[in-house]
Amino acid sequence: MEKLVEAEELRTNFYTFEGVVKALNGVSLVVNNGETYGLVGESGCGKSVSVRSMMRIVQAPGKIEEGKVVLFFNEKDRNKGIDILKRSEAYMQSIRGNDISMIFQEAGTALNPVLSIGFQVGESFLLHRRGEMIKLAVKTLDKKIDENSNSLFRMWRKFHKRLLQNETDDLERYKTEIVKIDSDLYRTEGKTDSKSLEKHKRLLVNRERLNKQGLKVRLQLKTPIIRRYVRRINAAVREKVIELLTDLGVPNPGNIVDRYPHELSGGMQQRIVISIALACNPTLLIADEPTSNLDVTIQAQILDLIRQLKKTQISSVLFITHDLGVVAEICDRVTVMYAGDTCETASVKDLFKEPMHPYTKGLLKSVPKGEIGEKLQTIPGTVPNLITPPSGCRFHPRCPDVMEICKSQKPEMLMMKDGHSVACHLYRKK
Amino acid sequence: MILVLVGVSLIVFAIMMLIPEGQRVAIYVTGEKIRNEQIDSLIVKYGLRDPAPVQYFRWIKNIFKGDFGHSITASAPVIEGFKMYFPVTLELVLYSTPLIILVGIWLGTIGAVHKDKPIDHFTRIFAIVGYSLPTFWLGLMLMMFFYGLLGIFPPGTISIVGKDILYNPEYHQYTRILTIDAILNGNWRMFWDAIYHLTLPTINLVLLSSALIMRLMRSSMIDALGQDYIRTAMAKGADKKTIYNTHARRNALIPVITISGLMFAGLMGGMVITETIFARKGIGLWMARAATQLDVAAIMFNVLFLGVVFVVINLIVDLIYAWVDPRIRLT
Ligand SMILES: Nc1ncnc2c1ncn2[C@@H]1O[C@H](COP(=O)(O)OP(=O)(O)O)[C@@H](O)[C@H]1O
Ligand code: SF4
Ligand SMILES: [Mg+2]
Repeated sequence: MEKLVEAEELRTNFYTFEGVVKALNGVSLVVNNGETYGLVGESGCGKSVSVRSMMRIVQAPGKIEEGKVVLFFNEKDRNKGIDILKRSEAYMQSIRGNDISMIFQEAGTALNPVLSIGFQVGESFLLHRRGEMIKLAVKTLDKKIDENSNSLFRMWRKFHKRLLQNETDDLERYKTEIVKIDSDLYRTEGKTDSKSLEKHKRLLVNRERLNKQGLKVRLQLKTPIIRRYVRRINAAVREKVIELLTDLGVPNPGNIVDRYPHELSGGMQQRIVISIALACNPTLLIADEPTSNLDVTIQAQILDLIRQLKKTQISSVLFITHDLGVVAEICDRVTVMYAGDTCETASVKDLFKEPMHPYTKGLLKSVPKGEIGEKLQTIPGTVPNLITPPSGCRFHPRCPDVMEICKSQKPEMLMMKDGHSVACHLYRKK
Repeated sequence: MILVLVGVSLIVFAIMMLIPEGQRVAIYVTGEKIRNEQIDSLIVKYGLRDPAPVQYFRWIKNIFKGDFGHSITASAPVIEGFKMYFPVTLELVLYSTPLIILVGIWLGTIGAVHKDKPIDHFTRIFAIVGYSLPTFWLGLMLMMFFYGLLGIFPPGTISIVGKDILYNPEYHQYTRILTIDAILNGNWRMFWDAIYHLTLPTINLVLLSSALIMRLMRSSMIDALGQDYIRTAMAKGADKKTIYNTHARRNALIPVITISGLMFAGLMGGMVITETIFARKGIGLWMARAATQLDVAAIMFNVLFLGVVFVVINLIVDLIYAWVDPRIRLT
């Protein structure tokens, strides 16, 4: 299997008033091309922070301290990959929502209360597909120009076409410049001689500074009356949004686009969040507990939708949940997390059949099997405070198999057999 | 709305009833000076010993006739005094309110975006200074420094040359708002003269009142930037500018709008002091004088007037609020 994204030894801290929350303690995971990958663990164990770190959208007071997030998206970087933590913010912006998208646990708060649904979904198109949107706008405009109408209208429309053309040219310019910088960046990447490092740094700065819009376009976007041509783009975007919402099974999309989030039900809000994420056909969809706050029936619908999309549109899904039932249902491979550590990675079948890590075992025992009168086991102890986490293996205060070494030394990830690895001192070679 | 106005009038009337009859006469007499020996007959004439409800309705009737009594301090009927003083105040409000809001929102946003950076500390110091300085002290200091030391930005509303222009029969006073009249007359000299006199009082009010808005904007912007929907916008690939301007600011403005209605009360208080210090003949100065000289008619009128202004301002604030926040939009 080909790797798609690999996170290596991610460490993320939150600098809060109470102290430094060491939320991630060296998290590593690999999502392969074409798979549905699960990330499970109790709430508060750092699942969300892990994926946010992978997209570099950790909000203040959080900070990614070290680690790597390597993407293997293009043919060009199949072997080497791109470490996105080293890339510029502008580069990240071109990736987010375009190649990697994310859907969130609480759809209600994930949508902006003061912006219309149409705007929020359409923004994805405007950010990553502006060129296409302009083409669509030009197409409708051309049709209108052909209609015989009053010559004044004709002039006005021709003028708008000219302005749209300006934008297209400008996008072209941006694209060529950015491609050039990117290829230079790629060439200097990883080289350690001081000259290359210097150049690399300069290129990063250049990429950051490169104006997405040239002076002319900025002017025409800002000048009153002239900027009215933007409405034609917005109309094209609106069409696309309605199309997308229809595809995702949103009833009555023509009406929904003009609504605001508070007017929709929870399930519908989650569909909107999904449509924002899917607008640009991402390669990887990260779903952060997308069904946790929904009714069971709606939950099933959303899961179905994601499974459907996995078949038709997106190549890989990283699915976060605390529900092992959901994991069994839709994931191919899964990683178990505990208190900012990755404990065990295995295929779903292996994990349920022969769990290795003591925490995984405990977790599986606490899942109801549907027998009447069955007694569930719980893991004794409580989730640790991450400001002062336990030393060594973070699970040691609660582990039934704890040994002396566990208290002082963090266990490494050990590959037990093909595709099944575990971080636990029990499995160290003696 | 109407109900609130009726409430306001009732309260004002209740306050009025506390004033001794002898002085209350001024509210009913318009257009003449009252001599001491007349008072008793006037009290009887205007029925000031009648039951309160009767007096209330009589008073309301007078209000609708535009009859508010005689002001000692303006040496004219109250309504004439109002026509003279109000434009001066309105002019100051016209220039300072937009500045207060813009400066407050702008600095607040800058502070939030560059949280804990030097520029943030700078804006916070500005806010603390503006917030804690007494209006009169800042006003006096500004005056001392600019007028006393440098000899620029004199007090008053207009220079002597300006006054000559003002009373020139060629010059029309359309609105009595100096700058607007100047523009309408095409008289730029007059315009700059008025602006020159407006500068210090405006700075005084802006410094003092924008501090509150700034603090609020900063904290609500920081709050908005930590919300989940900002993360959604980031995950979409939106750039910083879009996130600040489109996604965060509108949400951050909601509490600021609520407060700016209340801020208006503070502005009124600041107005009395500012006008007194800078010798601007506006409502504030009039009220200050009326209060010290027991000009009952003028005081009662202004209290009523401010009540009405308050109600109107709050209505406007509610409308803006509904426009910004779709959640409370009426369906
Ligand atoms: N904004 C924040 N400030 C402080 N600590 C945070 C913040 N966000 C997350 N954390 C900490 O990071 C840890 C992991 O959180 P999270 O990734 O949200 O857990 P979950 O696995 O439920 O998604 C938690 O222990 C939490 O205390
Ligand atoms: S490393 Fe030690 S404490 Fe940690 S899970 Fe394994 S046995 Fe338990
Ligand atoms: Mg979470």
